[in-house]
Amino acid sequence: MKKLSAVALLLALSAAFAAQAARATRPATDAKAAVAVGAVVPDFKLPDADGNEHTLASLKGPKGTVLIFVATRCPVSNAYNERMAKLAADYRAKGVNVVGINSNSTEPAAEVKQHAADKGLAFTILKDDGNVVADRFNAQYTPEAFLLDASGKLVYHGRIDNSRNADGVTTSDLRDAIDATLAGRGVANPEVKGFGCSIKRTS
Amino acid sequence: MLKALLPAVFAAFVLLGGPGGPQKQGPPKRAPGDAKPAAPPKVTEIDEAALKSLLGAGAGRARPLLVNFWATWCVPCREEFPDLVKIRGQYAAERLDFLLVSLDDPSDIGKAVPEFLSEQRATALPAYLLHAGDDNTAINLVDPDWSGELPATFLYDRSGSLVFKHKGRIKPDELRAALDAALKDKPQEAGAQK
Repeated sequence: MKKLSAVALLLALSAAFAAQAARATRPATDAKAAVAVGAVVPDFKLPDADGNEHTLASLKGPKGTVLIFVATRCPVSNAYNERMAKLAADYRAKGVNVVGINSNSTEPAAEVKQHAADKGLAFTILKDDGNVVADRFNAQYTPEAFLLDASGKLVYHGRIDNSRNADGVTTSDLRDAIDATLAGRGVANPEVKGFGCSIKRTS
Repeated sequence: MLKALLPAVFAAFVLLGGPGGPQKQGPPKRAPGDAKPAAPPKVTEIDEAALKSLLGAGAGRARPLLVNFWATWCVPCREEFPDLVKIRGQYAAERLDFLLVSLDDPSDIGKAVPEFLSEQRATALPAYLLHAGDDNTAINLVDPDWSGELPATFLYDRSGSLVFKHKGRIKPDELRAALDAALKDKPQEAGAQK
């Protein structure tokens, strides 16, 4: 009898230990495993500025998807409003869908909605309360773009182009990446950084 | 003998600036609430190569180096400025190099940038404006883990190693702790005499 309870105790202890170990390791690996170029982006669900939930799967374009972390109050993001609106219009016809994500804790959904209407951002903008998706992408600034190919694989990450001032653009990194992807070529420069406003995370 | 030395002692006294010792550098004292700004400082335009040599990557340096990347259009950058100016005041220039690198548009180099620095009384800090041929290159040469978000603050020790970085508005206590650690790790008592 004694022996049996000792075995039971041992079993219970080892099960508890295993559960503890799983708990300890799983969140750590998840947090570290930010979406990387070359990897398929896992699905997520976020509400838009009206509160309607969307999954990434439901927003994907047949030929690819562009996710851009945007802001209402960041002058850099705002300098790109027209370019983002034009990008969305130009590529919608080619099967690539543009989606905005606002992860700034300082910018409420109502403000995001009003801003999009005022600035002519005629594409879905998701509100990422708690910056869960920004964390998953390790997105740090606005406007920071992520391009997924038709299979949902991340093929480009970084700036939209090389100049905040539209007149000074000499390399359109994001457009070049989309064009290469549509043509079935690899993206020449899959990660190109730019300066922008830090995403205002929930601390 | 003592009498013979007196003129020399007197001369030394005068040279050292009288009873107050060496003249302190820095902006003149103002009464609290006196918002009169200092004269706008000169802001120097630099490219990636100049930034690289300012950072002196990998090379030994006389003092640790603190670099703050900012812009007048960046709200948290503006908000953290009083803390940066306070920190500049707390660490003598002979112990710590502290540079400001603005990411404003080059057209703002003559007005918006120096005027803001003047308002903030940040005129004692060497100020640069980065006009890089390619921002991606500039960001990566500072820190490959930096995405380019502003503000961003980096501390290099005497060996030129990046020992502290903070993206977003600084936490003054955290930055002071990093500065104290970098200053403690020093070959000689620099800046001890005042």
